[in-house]
Amino acid sequence: MVEAEIVQPTGIALSAVPGGKGLKVGALSMISSLVIGVASTAPAYSLAAALGLVTASVGLIAPAVMWLAFVPMLFIAAAYYYLNRADPDCGTTFTWVTRAMGPKTGWIGGWGILMTDLVVMPSLSQIAGAYTFSLFGAHGLANSTFWVTFIGVIWIVVMTAICYIGIELSKNTQVFLLSAELVILTVFSIVALTRVFEGGVAHSVHPALAWVDPFKIHSVGALSAAMLVAVFIYWGWDTAVTVNEEADDIKRTPGRAAVLSTLVLVAIYLIVSIAAQSYHGAGFLTAHSADVLSGLSHDVLGHDFSWLVILAVLSSASASTQTTILPAARSALSMAVHGAVPKRLGSINRRYLSPGFATLLFGVVSIVWYVVLTIISPNDILGNSISALGFGIAFYYGITGIACTVYYRKLVFKSLKNFLFIGVAPLLGGLVLFLMFVVSVFYYSNPANSFIPGQAWLKFIHFDFHLFGWHIYVTKGLGPPLVLGVGLLLLGVPLMLYWRVRHPDPFFRHRAEVAESIDGTAPPLTPGAVGLHD
Amino acid sequence: MAGDVVLGYDDSAGSRAALPVAVRVAKAFGAPLAVVFGYEPNPLGGESTDYRLQLERLGSDMVSKALQEARRLAPEVTVEPLVVPLRPADSLLEAARERQALVIVVGGTGERPIVGAVLGSVPHKLLYLSPVPVLVVPAEEED
Repeated sequence: MVEAEIVQPTGIALSAVPGGKGLKVGALSMISSLVIGVASTAPAYSLAAALGLVTASVGLIAPAVMWLAFVPMLFIAAAYYYLNRADPDCGTTFTWVTRAMGPKTGWIGGWGILMTDLVVMPSLSQIAGAYTFSLFGAHGLANSTFWVTFIGVIWIVVMTAICYIGIELSKNTQVFLLSAELVILTVFSIVALTRVFEGGVAHSVHPALAWVDPFKIHSVGALSAAMLVAVFIYWGWDTAVTVNEEADDIKRTPGRAAVLSTLVLVAIYLIVSIAAQSYHGAGFLTAHSADVLSGLSHDVLGHDFSWLVILAVLSSASASTQTTILPAARSALSMAVHGAVPKRLGSINRRYLSPGFATLLFGVVSIVWYVVLTIISPNDILGNSISALGFGIAFYYGITGIACTVYYRKLVFKSLKNFLFIGVAPLLGGLVLFLMFVVSVFYYSNPANSFIPGQAWLKFIHFDFHLFGWHIYVTKGLGPPLVLGVGLLLLGVPLMLYWRVRHPDPFFRHRAEVAESIDGTAPPLTPGAVGLHD
Repeated sequence: MAGDVVLGYDDSAGSRAALPVAVRVAKAFGAPLAVVFGYEPNPLGGESTDYRLQLERLGSDMVSKALQEARRLAPEVTVEPLVVPLRPADSLLEAARERQALVIVVGGTGERPIVGAVLGSVPHKLLYLSPVPVLVVPAEEED
């Protein structure tokens, strides 16, 4: 039969490719990996969103939180690096956690990713809206809820379309945009610091060593809340660890791009946060948290050059929106392929080859979510979203860290290196993130800690009791970040149970696996998953 | 001795129109025909393994379909289906280079030039980058 020989044409390699490099799946040059890692983290947008929120919790000690938040992320990166060796280039908490801890936990991990991606969308749209108006000097419109939301919705529509159609910037354009972003932020910081030292800037403060010392923060709750915001600024950095870097020996070169992107990010966050708060003090950042870089850049660089910073934020927000929609659709596709959610979510558009249905659905749900949130809480979308986001990130990064140690548990004591990098680091990273999660639950259960002090949701919840010497009470409702962040995660539990009852096959039949060796690539999670397309 | 005829095939109207032309060219020159489907997920999206696998399956369905059609049109032509993990234009260039192709055959996208310029039309890229002749076959008018 003629058809027999093409049953599996996949993987047919064009043999005589020079150096065997051309067809290495997903292999990227060091520069490309670096660009992807840093662009996914989106420094300018992250700073625009987080600067004022971190100072709101810890005042001038914000730079300390900026670097401290990186430590758990670094530990979790070890988990990503090693899990990636079992299930290469996958990067989904969903498949990894399913392997290590079984389908129910894995499902909730995947849900965590989707919800976190959803929660970040309003903050991206909000920044896109406000900064677009600032770019054109329309500061009145930048403060109008209606018009900002209007532009924000258009932003989601355009970005969803870009991801659906599959428009990609060329590598050179990406390198240019990212370099421009970093150069602009650096110049902004240098100019701000120079002017502070020259004197004459209102409310300016000279930088002090105490700013980078986390032990100067005396409230555990405030530290935890600030950390929850600051882990967000490193969110996406793990991409640098999981994209396959083209190297002489991929297994032995633990991502030079990851190391470099780390240095770049920590440096830029420290410089900008120090410069920003020394210019007008921490109070200014908190008071202008919704458009902090726009206001500040105007004062620092003047009318003629402030648009550079605004443009950097917008370009960064656009990269960040894409690195939210694309992975969200791919996670949904992954879950659909393995039978964990309806098959429709895994369909591929035949023309554009994108996960079409999942992409469009994510766009629509994001718009609904953004508009509803704007109606419920018009004055603090950014703060509530970013803190709620922190809960989601802490949850799914945390569970990934723990999954790494669980998955490789037979190998942890084989060598000191194993013990440190697949035992201690991922587990510690996971536990630190869970601890932050829990402390922040308590912190935001008190509406006095909301970004608009006293702002409370779900006021009908009322309890007050003592347990093991702890006074546990909710009497005035809960802070919005808690309701959004934890509420959306919890919503996954009944959905998971429903799907498990209705469709136990094949996904919920999985048993947790354990790794026998580090370099042994795991067999497919669902062998022969059916082909799906529109 | 001429090399392969390389056909880009994605089951679009254009590529369906290009298929019989490629078969005729291959038959006339006594050349083997390589049917190529290329794909590459945007690396910015991460998390690509399951997505890649789905694209691979979709691609092998498409080239299998093209293979059957080619065999029906000209059973004497040797046809090889290839699913290549590179962007569409790159996959054709790579296949052409590796097979020392006689010609690359692709379907016109049928889109207005400005749309093609924005979305990056494959024939357009090939015209600039291909080391071998490129034959662009217009899509038939659809109802």
